[in-house]
Amino acid sequence: MPLQLNLLHEEILQQRQRQRDPLKLSLYAAIGLGALLILNYLWTGYRVLESKSRLNSIQAEWGKIEPKVTEAQKRSDELNGIISTTNALDGYIENRFYWAPLLEKVAHCVTPNIQITALEGIVEDDKGLVTVTLDGVAGGREPRGVAEDFRQMLLEQVGKEQPTVKVEFKTLEDLDTTVAVGGNNVTTAHFVVTVGMEPFPKAATPAPTEHKSRPKKEES
Amino acid sequence: MNKEQVKKLLLGALGLIALLYVYFSFFLGPLNKSRNALQAKVKDLQTKISTSKTEISKATKLEETAHSATVRYDGLRALSPDGAPIAWFPPRMRTFLTSHQIDKGTTRLETNSDFKEKELADWSRYLWIIDLPQADYESLGNAITQLENTNPLLSIKKLRIHAATEDPEMQKVVFTAATIIYKK
Repeated sequence: MPLQLNLLHEEILQQRQRQRDPLKLSLYAAIGLGALLILNYLWTGYRVLESKSRLNSIQAEWGKIEPKVTEAQKRSDELNGIISTTNALDGYIENRFYWAPLLEKVAHCVTPNIQITALEGIVEDDKGLVTVTLDGVAGGREPRGVAEDFRQMLLEQVGKEQPTVKVEFKTLEDLDTTVAVGGNNVTTAHFVVTVGMEPFPKAATPAPTEHKSRPKKEES
Repeated sequence: MNKEQVKKLLLGALGLIALLYVYFSFFLGPLNKSRNALQAKVKDLQTKISTSKTEISKATKLEETAHSATVRYDGLRALSPDGAPIAWFPPRMRTFLTSHQIDKGTTRLETNSDFKEKELADWSRYLWIIDLPQADYESLGNAITQLENTNPLLSIKKLRIHAATEDPEMQKVVFTAATIIYKK
């Protein structure tokens, strides 16, 4: 092996020392780190711009939808109002008491030996009650019996449609006067009958149905 | 490393820390903050758009289902003519009663009030007293039948029928009718 003499030993050492200079190395590292940071900043900036662009497109879409949704909300409120108003009005309509069928039934029950002199009826909405008072005179050999027949017939007739009906005498008293019925003079009795019913019980809500009162037949 | 180099390194490290602080606090931080704010806005708007689309579709469905209610509502509203009820209801009743051979009928307003229910805020309740000095029972029955069937917003609350003393065929009738009238 030939002998080699390094005459530049000191220079080479110095060069190596320069190359391994920590300051220089750290400067390189700092430049690299700075480049990475700049790249990261640019990437983040790009993503911000992308988000802005997305926001702009969504805002444009919202700008188109907003008037429609405002209008839809307004219309929905209006329709809901109409529905609830119609339901409330239907409630009133369905819970009306129809007087015509009752008058017809009273007319059916009045026989020739009965005369109704007064009829008074009242609807109590808060209690759901209907009360009718019939004031009249019954004539016959047994006027009290005639009045009782009238009461029972009224109970039967009204009870067909109103199962809760109660027909009771408030007053039943003999009168001194006589009347001619069918050519015979008969004794009379004065009576007051009350008809009480609950056409719309509060516990049960009636289903909406076609509720029409029928025209009264010719009868007195 | 000599003393000089250690000093420079320390200085460099300090500079690096300062640089990182400035970078994250004044450059990247605000940028990220701005991005987060933008993303929050995007998310918010997307939620709004999604909710709005649902609401629009619901409103369209409601429009279809509410059709019958709308028609009925318009029909009920049409029962209330323009003008003050006191101006049109009594003449209308007179004409109606005359058409049923009941003359001399008078209609007067007893009370009117608003409803407590908020859904009936546009409607008022009127109580009318209809006085018929002469009416025969059959005509009265027919009139009441037609009145109840053709006026869904009218209900009779009180009814008094008394035999008229001068004519046994005739009765004296007074009834109180409640009507629901649209405020125009």
